[in-house]
Amino acid sequence: MNPVVEQAGGLFRLSLKEALFIGFCAVFAVLARMMLRLHLHISGHAMLVTAFFLLLARGSVRYRFGASFAGLLAGSASIFLGFAKSGPFMLVKYLAVALVIDLAGLLMPGLFRNYFWCALVGGCAGATKFFTAYSVNFLAGMDRTVNFQASLFEAAGAILFGVLGGLLVPVVLRRLHAYGVIS
Amino acid sequence: MLPGKLFSTRKVCLPSVSLEGPAPAGDAARVGLRMLLALTLSCLAFAARTIPFLLVLTAIDLALLWWLRGKQLSLRRELKAFAWQTLVILMLYLVRFRDLAGLWGGFKISWQLFLALLPSMVFVRSTSQTRIVQALNRVMPCRMAFVLSTCLKFAPQLLAEVRSIYEGQVLRGARILPRDLVKPWHWFDLLHCVVVPAVVQSMALAGNIALAARARDFGSQPRRSCWPGL
Repeated sequence: MNPVVEQAGGLFRLSLKEALFIGFCAVFAVLARMMLRLHLHISGHAMLVTAFFLLLARGSVRYRFGASFAGLLAGSASIFLGFAKSGPFMLVKYLAVALVIDLAGLLMPGLFRNYFWCALVGGCAGATKFFTAYSVNFLAGMDRTVNFQASLFEAAGAILFGVLGGLLVPVVLRRLHAYGVIS
Repeated sequence: MLPGKLFSTRKVCLPSVSLEGPAPAGDAARVGLRMLLALTLSCLAFAARTIPFLLVLTAIDLALLWWLRGKQLSLRRELKAFAWQTLVILMLYLVRFRDLAGLWGGFKISWQLFLALLPSMVFVRSTSQTRIVQALNRVMPCRMAFVLSTCLKFAPQLLAEVRSIYEGQVLRGARILPRDLVKPWHWFDLLHCVVVPAVVQSMALAGNIALAARARDFGSQPRRSCWPGL
């Protein structure tokens, strides 16, 4: 066996190639947010790229914690690139979305080829925005009712864009599968 | 020749990674301390509930900015975000409380949130990425630090690949020019013509980098050996 060529990763092991691919997905997620700032002033539109790339990262590899790894890298990368609007909480935001995706992947391994499940998981991932926004505002001491309304407002947009991001994933994964890039 | 500004609506400036030489021995520790200071200041902003506390924190942040004034730190984008955030919070507080006291409370919250994000933003803008990765190498698993630094280093190359894919597809007649993308039914063209090839390209690049790293015995030692600087 050629010692230079690494074996493919599995459910619990991530090969270097897969780790780098997940890293690229994470960097794409951050850069897409930087480049395609739409100035829509609609809360949560960044969830489109976040949900899409994290779902793609998890759907392309067999590793069970692929999305969490991508979320960790995306959070760190956004801090390094000076794009972390919420400072260190950016890491928590990405990780919350990633954990939902990993959990869904754990329960339903075949969900990444199905439009309905991908949209549902994208929406659920978007819903985490409520908890992260509520936590940040709660720590800052915001009034409960205002905090609830503001977080709900932000989460509604994030859910909508999360669903849209999720719907794009099966299309891309099917094409990648057809090209033989993923198995 | 395609017109300029065809692909990106916003110019992305990535920090340089590999142009710096080896860092002095105590540099990573100093960067680590600055990172810790930024995180502490961010956390303190959440604990600050009184005006004197907020004023002291603001003074510290301003002193930090004054100290780093030589690095041409621009706060325009952050100030715009602060203004927008303040406006939304003030409106919500006005709807809820309908008086000036409520407005003042909303402004205080917005001020607090801004102070929470300012230190980490200043830290990232004033410290080179290489130095940050060097500092993180001490606290992160070396494999993760390698993946992160490699991905950041190859990000400009990937962006260039994406740009050339985009230009090639435009020349082929794909309806993905900015004026076409105003219509949502053309977004699928962007997905098929740009996103899928870009993902395939990044997969191939990841394979090449992994092969090169393995050929240099990456992963054969539990601790990573670095050359030069990183």
